[in-house]
Amino acid sequence: MNLCELKGVQMRFPGPKGQVKRVLEDINLAVKVDEVLCLVGPNGSGKSTLLRILSGLLQPTKGEVRWHGEKLRGVNQSVSMVFQTFALVPWMTVEENVRMVLRARDLAEEEVREKAAAAIHKVGLEGFEEAFPRELSRGTKQRVGVARALAVDPEILVMDDPFSQVDALTGEALRQEILDIWSDADNNPSSVVLVSHRITEAVLMADRIAILGGTPSAIRTMVENPLPRPRDPRSAGFLRLVDQLHDIIASAELPDVQVSAPQPELADDVLEPLPHAHTADILGLLEFLDTQQGGNCDLFHVVTHTHVPFEKVLTIVKGAEMLELVDTPRRSVVLTALGKKFVAADMDARKDIWKAQLLELKLFRVVRDLIELHEGELKQDELQHELAVRLPMENLELTFGTLVAWGRFGELFAYREDRGVLTPE
Amino acid sequence: MLNRVFDTMWGQANALFAFRRRRWLDLLVLVALVGLMYGLVIVGREWTGAQRPTVEIDLRVTALPKYMLLSIVRAGVAYLISITLTFTLAFWAAKDPFAERLLVPILDILQSVPILAFLPPVILAMLAIFPRSNIGLELSAAILIVTCQAWNMIFSFYQSLKTIPPELEELATTYQLNWYQRVRWIELPLATPGLVWNSMVSVANGWFFLMTAEAFSQGSLNFRLAGIGSYMQAAVDAGDTTAKWSAVVAMLLLVVVLDRLLWKPVMAWSQGFQLDENLRPERPKSWILDVWRRSRFRRWLEVVRSEWLLKRIPKPKDVARMLPQEPEQRKRAASFLAAGLLALLLLALAFAGFKLWSILSLVNGADWTRLLKAGGMSLGRVLASTALVTLWTIPIGLWIGLHPAVAKRIQPIVQVSASYPVSLLFAAIAAWLLKLKIGLGITSVLLMVLSTQWYLLFNIIAGAQAIPSDLREMGKAFRLTRWKRFTTLYFPAIFPFLVTGWVTATGGAWNASIITEFVSGDGKTFATFGLGSELQLATAAGSIPLITASSLLMAGLVVLFNRLVWLPLYRMAETRYTLDR
Repeated sequence: MNLCELKGVQMRFPGPKGQVKRVLEDINLAVKVDEVLCLVGPNGSGKSTLLRILSGLLQPTKGEVRWHGEKLRGVNQSVSMVFQTFALVPWMTVEENVRMVLRARDLAEEEVREKAAAAIHKVGLEGFEEAFPRELSRGTKQRVGVARALAVDPEILVMDDPFSQVDALTGEALRQEILDIWSDADNNPSSVVLVSHRITEAVLMADRIAILGGTPSAIRTMVENPLPRPRDPRSAGFLRLVDQLHDIIASAELPDVQVSAPQPELADDVLEPLPHAHTADILGLLEFLDTQQGGNCDLFHVVTHTHVPFEKVLTIVKGAEMLELVDTPRRSVVLTALGKKFVAADMDARKDIWKAQLLELKLFRVVRDLIELHEGELKQDELQHELAVRLPMENLELTFGTLVAWGRFGELFAYREDRGVLTPE
Repeated sequence: MLNRVFDTMWGQANALFAFRRRRWLDLLVLVALVGLMYGLVIVGREWTGAQRPTVEIDLRVTALPKYMLLSIVRAGVAYLISITLTFTLAFWAAKDPFAERLLVPILDILQSVPILAFLPPVILAMLAIFPRSNIGLELSAAILIVTCQAWNMIFSFYQSLKTIPPELEELATTYQLNWYQRVRWIELPLATPGLVWNSMVSVANGWFFLMTAEAFSQGSLNFRLAGIGSYMQAAVDAGDTTAKWSAVVAMLLLVVVLDRLLWKPVMAWSQGFQLDENLRPERPKSWILDVWRRSRFRRWLEVVRSEWLLKRIPKPKDVARMLPQEPEQRKRAASFLAAGLLALLLLALAFAGFKLWSILSLVNGADWTRLLKAGGMSLGRVLASTALVTLWTIPIGLWIGLHPAVAKRIQPIVQVSASYPVSLLFAAIAAWLLKLKIGLGITSVLLMVLSTQWYLLFNIIAGAQAIPSDLREMGKAFRLTRWKRFTTLYFPAIFPFLVTGWVTATGGAWNASIITEFVSGDGKTFATFGLGSELQLATAAGSIPLITASSLLMAGLVVLFNRLVWLPLYRMAETRYTLDR
């Protein structure tokens, strides 16, 4: 049975310069009774947006949300949200923070106090009632966030990457407690929907894992998790599932073969979208690979070794691959011959390689030509307008920022922020 | 008996002090309350009383408390009006995008215009409307104070409403807080620190203006409101040294008491609403707030409130409210209403503009030329005074700001001096300087310096304190000379603060020009060529076209100068010399 259903949901936001940001496209997703559903995917794949549509905070531009079979209008009272950044009101004590959401439901004061006390008890925060958020650690803050969400007795508990701001040990404990609260089948919440950036977290908690990706984002795959609970992260079955998910994500995000070659007559206009990777991160990745046997490492080993979230590693690898400094056969990341030369070279030689590789990209050639066309002074607005037209799917600010950072590192052009112009180096 | 009551109310606080403080404190509170009542009664009598343009001022020292009370009540009423305006206009601008586009620029202009330029026309208009009672004069004082203190409060509140952190916004939406809960739990607390700070500045400003408004004289006409400002003016006119000094001391006492009993506790309290969790070490503290926080009275209040909440029977939840489709209509109705109000406002503005045009057409070319020259003179004085102030405040401000120990000791003194309305002293100082045969032109510049120096000093101290310690250590580590450090590090770092200070200081100097270019004392009047004195002379002559022309010209000059000079400087400061990013 389905608690909540998203049907043909599409989400677009108006962007700068008349751009339309297409975030989600044709999402069909159901939240079943008594399940934990996890959403994973690279940065900017609209996971958080999807959560907000599900809870009624955002209205989809197309499609509908059905709640117990009926069309949902407005904010869903039976869904409550746990925020990534806690969203505690700083001038209210723990108790007041929890009571606040109950008062907003116009309950009798007695009921408000009872329910708040029960919720605080559930997450083990007795004794902290009079504390202000600023006195609490991040982990305890998130406990208050959970208590507040549980206080209103929701059918679905929606969590937006709730443990990313919490230290590892507290996160461990919180995950287990959430599962305990959820597994009590007689009481709410019936289901949990969770956004996560950690595959192991998803495998530990979820019954089903939805993998999002693409621009605009869609659900690529839905993976069932048949592992019995309680789950042991060191068991063979657990590790196998993690591995399988890694495979799916790697093959989707770093395809070995170009999936859709642009049509030749359009090829002139098509620019490569830039992965928003910092140059320092790309350099770090190359140095890291250089320490590995044969400059070769499994993508997800990079994640575990460097403690960088996998979405970010993906972006960095994509960036390095675009510059032909690494190759990604299947799941591994390998330094190319050029990459090896790059790592071995001194700073000047590195910059030369970088610059040459930038000029292999149509985007940078276009920027260089534009600067020339404007007699050595290209206004930021004009470039952004050009980008908005030719890369309509991309996030304009991020693309521009990455473009400037890469170009500056390769000494291809200079950018004067206070005047908002690009000039030749 | 009374002791028992005090014991229950303040008993808890006893633990705080080694000696018994509570009795005189309680007495003080009682006295203040009784005084306030008495003041209200007197003010009521004054307001409804028959108009006496030349109020006889009783120069005995014993009469001073009465005059002080009158002034306090006047300032209090004006502040209440300002805060009401703040809530309505700021909410309106923040919630209605249509109103926002109109209100914000209008408020921005009003904020930068020297309001004192409108004192003579306002007084004349009010006297014409209420020819029989004192209410006209009282109203002009109220209008004047409100117009000088409301704008920055409105802006601060509006800014807070526009910069609510998105997660708190989402929190309010997912848990469906109604508008009242949103205001009470999120928006109002969020705006409190800014509002408190701006209230402090505004009230200090209000005192400055009140002193002028109370003692406004116009050649032969002497419009006086009984108050500490007119007391001082009368003392100067009569050459009564005792009265002069007692007024000066009384005002000082008032400022210090207000600072201790009102602003300190309120500031400390408002710190609880800071979003920034990093508690600053020099968090303002106030023993009064501590007493209150630990008092039994407060606890008793809390119990009462809690019991009231428990007894309250909630209304069943209005389900329709949950659906976004329905409120749409209500919203549309509200926006129609708002649009109607705006249309009225615009119509009124257009009418006023038309009227002004017909009045201004009566001013001839020669007059315009003279006024423009006068404007140039006044602009010169304003800039000269600002330059003088800048020269002394940069080194002192840097010294205070860069030495936390010094800042800790000096800051309270600076704060109290800044809230002292120097306009009270203008007549006395001018009379003294003139006796020393210093021309009124220079005197005027000196008086401007007196009234605007604090704005700059404050800003420079704040700027110096904001310089990160790593940058300062860098300066030391690389052994930059003092001069090098100043030119490459300190000056650019305080530059944004300096620009803010300049804008406020020149605004203040323009205001001061109106009262300093034309001074009466010892039964004589002195004038020096300038826009301020032109305005006063026009008022004395009762020439409405000239009054209008000169006040508008001054407002225009200020706005133009802001747009052409300060705004570009400000932009530059924001992009190049900000330490925020």
